[in-house]
Amino acid sequence: MAKPSHAERLELFRRMLHMRRFEEMVIRLAQAYEYTGRQHLHIGHEATGAAVAMAMRAGDKIHTTHRNHGYVIACGADPGRAFAEIMGRRDGLNGGKGGSWHLCDAERGFQSTSAMVGGSIALAAGAAFALKLAGSGNISFAHFGDGTLDEGVAYESLNIASIYELPVLFVCENNSKAGQRPSSMLAAARLQDVPAALQIHCELVDGADSDAAQIAFQKAADRVRETGKPVFIEATLERWPGSHQVKAAFPTGVTDLSLALNLDKVEGKHADWIKQSDPILRATRALIKDGVSDLVGLLEMDAKVNLLMEDARSFAEASPFPDASVAFTGVFAS
Amino acid sequence: MPQMNLAEALIDGLIWSLRADPRATIIGRGIAGHGPEHAAEDRLKQEFGSRIIDPPTSEAAVAQLGTGAAMAGARPFVHYGTAVFAYEAWNQFINEAANIHYMSNGQLSAPVTFHLFHGIRGGGGPQHSGSPYAMYANNPGLEIVLPTSPRDAKGLMRSAMASNNPTIVIQNAQLLGLTEDVPAEDYSIPFGKAVVKRDGRDVSVIACSRSVIDALEAADILEKEGLSVEVVDIRTLAPLDVDTIVASVEKTGRMVAVDETYEICGVASELIASVVTRAFSALKTQPVRVGRPMTPVPFSPPLEAAVNPGTQKIVDACRRACKR
Ligand SMILES: Cc1ncc(C[n+]2csc(CCOP(=O)(O)OP(=O)(O)O)c2C)c(N)n1
Ligand SMILES: [Mg+2]
Repeated sequence: MAKPSHAERLELFRRMLHMRRFEEMVIRLAQAYEYTGRQHLHIGHEATGAAVAMAMRAGDKIHTTHRNHGYVIACGADPGRAFAEIMGRRDGLNGGKGGSWHLCDAERGFQSTSAMVGGSIALAAGAAFALKLAGSGNISFAHFGDGTLDEGVAYESLNIASIYELPVLFVCENNSKAGQRPSSMLAAARLQDVPAALQIHCELVDGADSDAAQIAFQKAADRVRETGKPVFIEATLERWPGSHQVKAAFPTGVTDLSLALNLDKVEGKHADWIKQSDPILRATRALIKDGVSDLVGLLEMDAKVNLLMEDARSFAEASPFPDASVAFTGVFAS
Repeated sequence: MPQMNLAEALIDGLIWSLRADPRATIIGRGIAGHGPEHAAEDRLKQEFGSRIIDPPTSEAAVAQLGTGAAMAGARPFVHYGTAVFAYEAWNQFINEAANIHYMSNGQLSAPVTFHLFHGIRGGGGPQHSGSPYAMYANNPGLEIVLPTSPRDAKGLMRSAMASNNPTIVIQNAQLLGLTEDVPAEDYSIPFGKAVVKRDGRDVSVIACSRSVIDALEAADILEKEGLSVEVVDIRTLAPLDVDTIVASVEKTGRMVAVDETYEICGVASELIASVVTRAFSALKTQPVRVGRPMTPVPFSPPLEAAVNPGTQKIVDACRRACKR
């Protein structure tokens, strides 16, 4: 596969910024409204999510876990309707019935968010089964965390995808590490040992390196399309310190692109994450270093994204709560 | 007598169980929930840290681990956090644990305790608000325990851990903060004994879990209208104390059955059936059922409120039963 063009790299970065500024607005909204429900933010995973979304073609399908916001936005869903859903408003992507944990946008191939660990991997295998039957050449994407491999259904789904040669790209975001309470406990030395034993082609990528992720996911998706067989990618990620928000907060501050060129200014408890693991700052440095853009250009892009998120917020705030009678509609398809 | 919240009382009951029986062992973490009461778990960890394991997210295997261990002589307590996670272990609860005593013709038993938090909790949405105990009750061989007060929680937990059968202690997480005086010493509360939580003359509200608390609130409201409401807490769904329920309805002549599980094939339906088939003539008016309507639990707050069988719906049901 050819190295991504400047335009493709900028497009990836634009999506990453959408994802980051979206999540930051989610934190602000949570502070302002104290709405119910939990947030599992996708901050720190943007390079992976955006690279996956860019590897998708019209007609492809994706299923994600609870850490879903970034994918919904990267797939091009309207951020205003996504905010509205998270706030339980009428104009939300799911009409207020789903909330943060169940955002979906079927028109864009974003099939569902399952908040049950082990849900998305099996559903995506099912999507691949349907796409194979339909013969459209489309493929499906399964997003899940390392925790999914704790569940028996993960093993079963990988096995089924392998024996029936299902066109599915398994995207495992591994943000678990020793020292913290890990989000998975696998006796295998590497997560990949499990799919590899089931004869699935595996790749490992630094999930916070936007260039590496862009190349790896494009290549993997091409391979799934060409061979019709599954591929498993493990994207390694350093867990963002606010990844489990009990109280809405900005533990690493509001993202400031100009810090990318001033890393010695970064201090505090989470300085390491900001300096080494923030995919947005890493991408900012790489784009500038490779002459794809300069800081001014990236800041301009960022300002536009911020304005868009402000508008999206206003849209969501103006959306009323749904009428209570809506609770009883739509249980069955007509 | 010390004051305890419900989470502390559950933990206290567990601690007495582990002290009493060296075979007792704990599988799981977050036993006191993840809310403000979570620290209650610390006492358990301090005294019995070496008898606790924190398993991977493998609900089906963990249920079977507990069941198999119970069949081989251990007394496991298996914690699931949100009740819906135990849907992954459906076969293990129903087909293995619940059946083994019967199908081995009494050679084996599975003295395992499963602990779950159920219910509409505010923003849980369709996948995190489940209350599966009516579905569990639709199977023979499982004991189902629904504590609604700290005293009951401690004594019922003690009985669960001492029971020779698979027992599901299923707790509405919203009640974990309820606080009252709880005896410091070791004690048990037997299964199959309902309790009259409030005496009344005009109508019997038969309830369990969260709905007991809502029913008591409804009774306060209705008292101001001159309606005297009796509230019965069944405490255990299996075994079910039909005698106490029937005695209450015979006294008041009117019945409202209320519970958070779904209306269709739910707990409220079973409560009404158990009265109608035994004491039909005691009823002066048609019994009224309050349950969750047949819709998934939506996320948005006003939609969630619309499906929650809370206090106001119980008030309305009592008025209907009394033709007010
Ligand atoms: C079947 C099931 N069991 C348990 C949970 C509770 N739970 C929510 S998130 C989570 C950890 C998931 O870890 P991972 O998949 O690695 O995702 P991460 O949050 O680390 O991104 C668990 C156990 C759940 N949602 N579903
Ligand atoms: Mg993880």
